[in-house]
Amino acid sequence: MFIDFFYTLKNAGVPVSPTAFLTLHKALGKGLVHSLDDFYVTARSVLVKSERYFDLFDQVFAHHFEGAELPDAEGVEVDEMARALLEEWLKDPKLLANALDVDESELSDLTPEALIEYFKERLKEQTEAHHGGNKWIGTGGTSPVGHSGYHPGGMRVGGVSRNKSAVKVAMDRRYKDYSLEGPLTPSMMGEALKRLRNMVPAGPKDRVNLDETLYQTMKNAGEIEIIFERSLKDRLKVILAIDNGGWSMDPYIPMIQTLFNYARAQFKEIKTFFFHNTVYDYIHEDPARYKKPVKVSDMARLDPETRLIMVGDASMAPYELMTADGSIHIEERSGRASLEQLRFLSETFPHSVWLNPVPERMWHYTQTISMIRRIFPMFELSIDGLEGAVARLMEKY
Amino acid sequence: MDHTPSRFTGATRYVLDPELAGIVNISMALEMPLLLKGEPGTGKTMLAHAIAESLGMPLIVLNVKSSMKLVEALYQYDTLTRLNDSRFGDSVRNVSNIEEYIKMGKIGQAFTSDTRSVLLIDEIDKADTDFQDDMLDVLDQMEFDIIEIDKVVKTVHRPVIIITSNAKKDLSDPFLGRCNFHHIAFPDPKMMRKIVDVHFSGLDENLMESAIAAFYKLRELEAVEKKPATRELINWIRALRSDPDFKPKKLLKGEVPFLGVLFKKSGDYQRATEFTNRRKLF
Repeated sequence: MFIDFFYTLKNAGVPVSPTAFLTLHKALGKGLVHSLDDFYVTARSVLVKSERYFDLFDQVFAHHFEGAELPDAEGVEVDEMARALLEEWLKDPKLLANALDVDESELSDLTPEALIEYFKERLKEQTEAHHGGNKWIGTGGTSPVGHSGYHPGGMRVGGVSRNKSAVKVAMDRRYKDYSLEGPLTPSMMGEALKRLRNMVPAGPKDRVNLDETLYQTMKNAGEIEIIFERSLKDRLKVILAIDNGGWSMDPYIPMIQTLFNYARAQFKEIKTFFFHNTVYDYIHEDPARYKKPVKVSDMARLDPETRLIMVGDASMAPYELMTADGSIHIEERSGRASLEQLRFLSETFPHSVWLNPVPERMWHYTQTISMIRRIFPMFELSIDGLEGAVARLMEKY
Repeated sequence: MDHTPSRFTGATRYVLDPELAGIVNISMALEMPLLLKGEPGTGKTMLAHAIAESLGMPLIVLNVKSSMKLVEALYQYDTLTRLNDSRFGDSVRNVSNIEEYIKMGKIGQAFTSDTRSVLLIDEIDKADTDFQDDMLDVLDQMEFDIIEIDKVVKTVHRPVIIITSNAKKDLSDPFLGRCNFHHIAFPDPKMMRKIVDVHFSGLDENLMESAIAAFYKLRELEAVEKKPATRELINWIRALRSDPDFKPKKLLKGEVPFLGVLFKKSGDYQRATEFTNRRKLF
């Protein structure tokens, strides 16, 4: 019963488990459900475990029982695309304005929200990708803004850039290929990170050390002597710096999210920063890399015992790493090459590693990976790599 | 629908949304813990109190702390008292019987209670994931082991379990798999009127309308660290009522007294004051 409903939910992207489905049947079997309303409430509380999926559930429910239109997966993508366009716009308004055949000044009056709306409209007009045409979304066409071949500062509408020809991603499902997730499940990741703990006594002496108390009491010939001690607390500080920029990291986003979630749960004190490709003068506290810049040189003030975990594919054009003005962001022109900044970070925090989602066997194909490896001990973002990284971070100097 | 006492239908001080009532009843029938999420002040904790009241069951509250270990919630072995007793030997307890030094924790109390009880596990997200997963095993099996005396404690009456979480992030999958889930949205003005009505019977219509309108206006204020919630509204109305000089008309004009009852962070308070002052100009 309702097996179709279950699979429609699953296909729509609500994480439903067979166990929960059986529980739903148990509820039905108990005669608790008398109406469609009852069924709605029961099914939702049993099957859906996060409010994030409530909306999706509602839509699937309406579709299944009332024949409403199914949620359009493309709607989500249009949103994503529009956001990406906004990012491009912020980087280089002129190029994007040209690409859209509008006057730059016309768009620059709009607020970011209005811009997003505008981009969405434009994206909807484009219902299918035109490959080789002269419209603006597509691959390998005559358009000035296709994705192969342009400098990263230029316009790239989707496309995975990992030393391979850009694959069309604009209107495709982006995360369909989950093969990368295979070996690394969330719980395995949690397990690996768990080793990264450093228990030290902290706080007031408010815990009774029983063994010691008994020993001292015996020594006192039975006169009770209670020994207190500090309880153990994890005082380890961790900085997690994530490359969330550009499209090259996109395939690894689910994996990194998992890592991030687990890191959150494991440590009391964790700072997260974001960067694009590599680190220049600033590193950012907000994922948009816009609002909260932190000067890299200021990091010297942090506790050198802090564990620094960099996550990124370390793949970019060599000059981005080497030259003094390599940053694709115009405002970062301190004259220090990114390579120097990375070296500075690794010297500031002796306990540091670089986690790379790119499989290790591919590393020597990319020049910048080898260069960064010389600065940071690099580990593959896999279960083995993670364990190696944790072992490295806990080494004593 | 029948109204046998084993069904939850609401309580005196709690306004029950029918959807939530359905979920509570389903969870009770399936004997599964109910996980409640939602903004602070949406009445997650109150729900457990209301269930206990309406079903006439004792309520046992486990306030989860970040440093808590599961065993503390189950039982405690009072070694120091035992040591003391063995030294002075003036108590009525039998020192060689360890069981006399075992005290039940909150979960233990709920398991061993003579009547069916409501067990509220408040703010589970504070503890680490190990605590959560281990606890679910206990709740799943409905039994735990007291290692010191090698005794298994089984539930006499399966308690009604309500778990609350404020966390933005989701709890672990195995945890979620064993719970029913509900997210309590912030009440809309219509619901809020009912809630206020339950707390202040016979409240002046004028005062209620303008207070609720002002409250939702203030909630729209952006960049506020902690938005005022139901609890703040109720305290605020209480303050307004006790002020003899207060006239509901003033609220409409943008004069908001006792802002400190609604906004408790100093930054928020300042923003709210600026906001209300500005409104007066229009």
